[in-house]
Amino acid sequence: MYSLRLRLAQWVLAHRGFSFAFFIVVTAFFAAGLHKVELRTIFSDLLPTDDPFVQVYQDHPNFGSPLTMMVMIRRTDGDIFNTETLGKVWKFTRDIDLTPGVDHEQILSITTEKARYSEATPFGIDMRPLMSDRPPQTPEEVADFRTRVGKASNVRTFLISPDDKSTIIMATFIEQKVDYGVAFEYVQGLVNQARDGHHEVYLTGQPALIGWVYRHEWEMVGIFAVTMAILILTLTLYMRNLVGVLTPIITSAVAGIWAFGFVGWLNISIEPLLMVVPLLLTARSFSHSVQFTERFYEVYAQVGDRRKAAEITMSVMMAPSVLGILTDILGIIVVVAAPIPAMVRHAVFCGMWAVWLIPTGVVLISLLLATLPAPKNIHQLVGEGRENGVHRKFQAMLEKLASLSSGPKARWTTIVVVVLSALTIYTSSQIKIGNPVEGTNLLWYDSEFNTAVRKINANFPGVNTLEIVLEAKNQDSEDWVSQRADTVMTELKLQRLMEAGTAPPRATLSFADYLSEANRLFSGGDPRWSPLDPRDRAISAAAVGAMMGSSTKNFGHVVDGGLQNSTVSLWYADNKQETVDAALEAARKAVEQVGVDHKEFIVRLGTGTIALQEAVNRVIKRYQWVVIVAVDLLVFILCSLAYRSFVAGILLLIPVNLANEALIAAMHLLGVGLDVNSMIVAAIGVGVGIDYGIYLLSRICEELQGNGGDWQAAITASLRTTGKAIMFTAAIMTLGIVPWYAMSGLKFVADMGLLLMAIMAINMTLSLVVLPLLVWWVKPSFALRHNRWVGESVDLTKFSAH
Amino acid sequence: MRLLRYDRGFSRRKFMADAAKGIFGAGVLMPTWEAIAADGDASKAYPDELLSIEGYTKGRIKTGDYITAANVELVKDLLEPVRYEQILKMGRRLKVVKTTKDIMRLSPWEYLEATLKNAGKAGFDAKGNVVNKADGKPWIGGNPFPNPKTGVELFAAQTLSWGRHDASFYAMKMYSSDVNGGGTVKFNYSGGWAELAPVARVSMNPKPYWPGHDDKLRYQSVFFLKPQNFRGTSFLNIWDYDHSTFPTLYGYVPEFRRIRQFPTDQRFEPLVPGLSLFLSDAWAAGDPLYTWGNYKIVGRGPFLAGLSESWNSGHENWEHTTHGGAQGKLFWDATVELVPEAIIVEAEPVKFPRAPVSKKRVWFDARTQAVIGMVTFDRRGAPYRSFDGAYTLYENGSKKVMDGKHPYWSWAHVTSSDIQTGSVTRLEQVRVLEGKHFSGANDPSIYDKYLTHVALMSLGAA
Repeated sequence: MYSLRLRLAQWVLAHRGFSFAFFIVVTAFFAAGLHKVELRTIFSDLLPTDDPFVQVYQDHPNFGSPLTMMVMIRRTDGDIFNTETLGKVWKFTRDIDLTPGVDHEQILSITTEKARYSEATPFGIDMRPLMSDRPPQTPEEVADFRTRVGKASNVRTFLISPDDKSTIIMATFIEQKVDYGVAFEYVQGLVNQARDGHHEVYLTGQPALIGWVYRHEWEMVGIFAVTMAILILTLTLYMRNLVGVLTPIITSAVAGIWAFGFVGWLNISIEPLLMVVPLLLTARSFSHSVQFTERFYEVYAQVGDRRKAAEITMSVMMAPSVLGILTDILGIIVVVAAPIPAMVRHAVFCGMWAVWLIPTGVVLISLLLATLPAPKNIHQLVGEGRENGVHRKFQAMLEKLASLSSGPKARWTTIVVVVLSALTIYTSSQIKIGNPVEGTNLLWYDSEFNTAVRKINANFPGVNTLEIVLEAKNQDSEDWVSQRADTVMTELKLQRLMEAGTAPPRATLSFADYLSEANRLFSGGDPRWSPLDPRDRAISAAAVGAMMGSSTKNFGHVVDGGLQNSTVSLWYADNKQETVDAALEAARKAVEQVGVDHKEFIVRLGTGTIALQEAVNRVIKRYQWVVIVAVDLLVFILCSLAYRSFVAGILLLIPVNLANEALIAAMHLLGVGLDVNSMIVAAIGVGVGIDYGIYLLSRICEELQGNGGDWQAAITASLRTTGKAIMFTAAIMTLGIVPWYAMSGLKFVADMGLLLMAIMAINMTLSLVVLPLLVWWVKPSFALRHNRWVGESVDLTKFSAH
Repeated sequence: MRLLRYDRGFSRRKFMADAAKGIFGAGVLMPTWEAIAADGDASKAYPDELLSIEGYTKGRIKTGDYITAANVELVKDLLEPVRYEQILKMGRRLKVVKTTKDIMRLSPWEYLEATLKNAGKAGFDAKGNVVNKADGKPWIGGNPFPNPKTGVELFAAQTLSWGRHDASFYAMKMYSSDVNGGGTVKFNYSGGWAELAPVARVSMNPKPYWPGHDDKLRYQSVFFLKPQNFRGTSFLNIWDYDHSTFPTLYGYVPEFRRIRQFPTDQRFEPLVPGLSLFLSDAWAAGDPLYTWGNYKIVGRGPFLAGLSESWNSGHENWEHTTHGGAQGKLFWDATVELVPEAIIVEAEPVKFPRAPVSKKRVWFDARTQAVIGMVTFDRRGAPYRSFDGAYTLYENGSKKVMDGKHPYWSWAHVTSSDIQTGSVTRLEQVRVLEGKHFSGANDPSIYDKYLTHVALMSLGAA
């Protein structure tokens, strides 16, 4: 096997021209795909496609108003019933109609003609806008307006807060026309203009959320620049020569071009929210290059010939590098097990990026090292003189650590490790699924958006909805299923059951509510006519009455554009897991009572933020362990093959899985639940974390064979040398991620950064403590064999120029 | 043989120079109105290149050809932006037919006769209402301003008489599709539209006024037969002659057995779900004249519009064929011809402080002042909704539909598009619905059948 690697290395370096040409051509090919790269967050793609709730959402995307921006104007020193505030609401309503991509038919506020009060008069129905053709300008007009508001029950519930201090303006956008970034910046500009000493203004809604995310995603360019600067600075400080700095940059840049170009050619959009993972890979590529280069220096110092040294370095580093990268790849791609489209795209993008690290980090780097002029201070670089006080302190610390993991103290260390492991596993088993926040987990708690969500939720039915959809069996029915008696009466029954249930929503709404009002008005205005006559013709007439002079879009939140499907909307005060569980339980019972299968429609539970939150929780519940087991299994097979020993696979997996448990336990203690982030991090944690174990285990084997089977000496020597390299690797990866945690306005990105840093740190610690301990106790026989694939040892005297 | 100096460039320069000088009379070589008054043909007012598509495109598009995405650039200047985009991007196509030169084929015969007879007699009174200058009473029939000099004159004439008959009943089928949904038909209505003029009558006795009703400008109703949910649902608009007063709007839903009155200043909402048609849109002049304002002529030039050969006499119920979209039902198979001169007028919704539109731009045929296209713009100035249709004489060889002594002239189909949301509503005039509601004009029984409260109730009961 080794001779094959050597032959390959010899061939590549003997044909440097050809090899460079190959890399130039391939890089040019991928670079040509760069202009097609699209960084885009597709929010629906963050949801699991196989979940029944998500399927309801995808079948009925308009229920729950995903294209609507909601603005709340709140008077801070009184109520809204004054000329200044009402004038402000009028102006805001007119101004929001100027937003690019807005649907002019779907602007709603107390100033629009859609907010009507109705009364039956001897001359007919007087259905007029609450506000006349201008905002009230005198106290008398304000008083009149307030009286009219009292006659419009839906306006009271949905557009004016119970304390009369706040009012809502809603604008819905045209999906094909809206540029969320542009629309958000425009409306946010209006919000800033409208704020003054007497008025607070809050903006929420999915388009606003997307706008905020886009704005923060642009920040990533800056964060990326900072990250790169830190990594290059670290490299410069560590290597202190041009080749040592240039080599990692060139190889990492080439891998990056290949990765981006690849998805560009495949027309796969990149999810910016997961960009921290490629950055981790870049950091990984840097640290790998540093180790490769250092090894090259060692060899070069011995053999005195760049090409030969590169050839030897490539041949000895190839196998461990490939194995390390393969485990990274497994950790990245295994998340495709979870049916979340964004993760699949992420796996393709990042997984292939990791794949590209193999040719660039093994072959290209060798070519560069063989070609670029060697540093003049080579002997200083590999000599004792380089080890300053810090290095010596680290070594002393690592030696101490080695004494805890082997020899007489190992027994006590083992007891401590076992007890802590048991506690960790117990604590981690207490973790809850889901990270409910009021608003979105993509942004920070005190972000402007989440603050707005909390404020609106506190004053209005809010944004936490559960939708029970009544889906027509025949989407082309001429009778418009949403207007059939069975449909409407089922809606009413569902509302009644939910309102009378154990977890009553704070508000409910369905098309039936509009029909009752129309029924009353057309029948003469007496409230006794509000109850609906459960005959098809009567219901149909009430529907005609409700929709007369009104666009179907004005009912788009309760009835779809084709008037076939409808929904019962239920609003909840918050989205805490207890609320979600209780709401869904009550809804399941209600659906059971009304029956799922009706003659013309089926009742589907459900969509809305409550259901979708549950769907995400369920996918984590279902796949968290599938992903871990899958990556464990694959890594186990790979490592067992590499070391030709199942014991090796087991030894390597124990620390990384323990690290995962420790992370989950820490999350639980911090009150954080498992979410999509933690699922990705757990898999990457195994894939990337196992590298530390591979480095260390390989070194222990080498040291063992070199010192005639002295296990304690081998462990100590390994920790002194490779342990230091592991610490460097962990440090450089952490440095690569720190800016993402510290600077990102996106909580999702920061959380993922933090979790990755935590898992790397825990992995590093456990690799340095638990793996040596395991080796000490097990004393595996494979460690003494010479035929391991991943051995890095080579007899340099054969190549020595001296 | 015409002089070569009257080429396309000459016409263009002439239109632009006249507009710059504030000369708004129609015609390039001579005033259009003089040419029409002389021999009923406006051709002498225009050079050849404005009288045939071959002349305009230098033979690159010929009569009988289709305008498609492949050649639409050649006639881009002859289309309003919405039709241009639909042809370019949505698979719409238009068949070109030859330009109609006989003016009597471009409007009802009696209307044109009255226009010629009453020319010069109209004026605006102190309130801005169109009156017979001789006695200050309501207008007496025909187009009051056949040689218009201002935008408001064009709109006044249009608002006074929509369908150019004293009374009309249109049996209609209506379809609504969504371009973004693949163009499948989502809503499918049928029903009737009736309109009757109690003043300015030229065909029906008593003329020109209907005593006891002469303070009204128009009675107009619409009712639905399909879908079943809307069967019998109807609306009745009664317009005051005063050009500033909003019409009275009544609605009727059979199940409730009561006529209800609705506010009528909310004219930017569809009457029924799914159709992209607002009250304000009717005939490009669906609101009283002075609820819009700042009328101004903004341009003149040739245009492509459907004025002839649009009656589908081959179908027993006159129904039209379609194309486009997944089902092939997105656009009418429409014919257009080169209109030598359209006068383009813009107006703003000055009495609608909540209007979602900033202005409408309407194209009038300079020869007849008939509306041949309309585009509204949102408040950011972006094209919003458009209307294009086809008028026709109901005569095809030996097949004819008579209106008194002359072939029936009316509209055949209309396309209303919301270019922002992608919704397309198609309307067509059919011969008859349910064997008893026949399209036709100037039948005095239209009032009792369709335009009274009792009529609405009996339509609902049927």
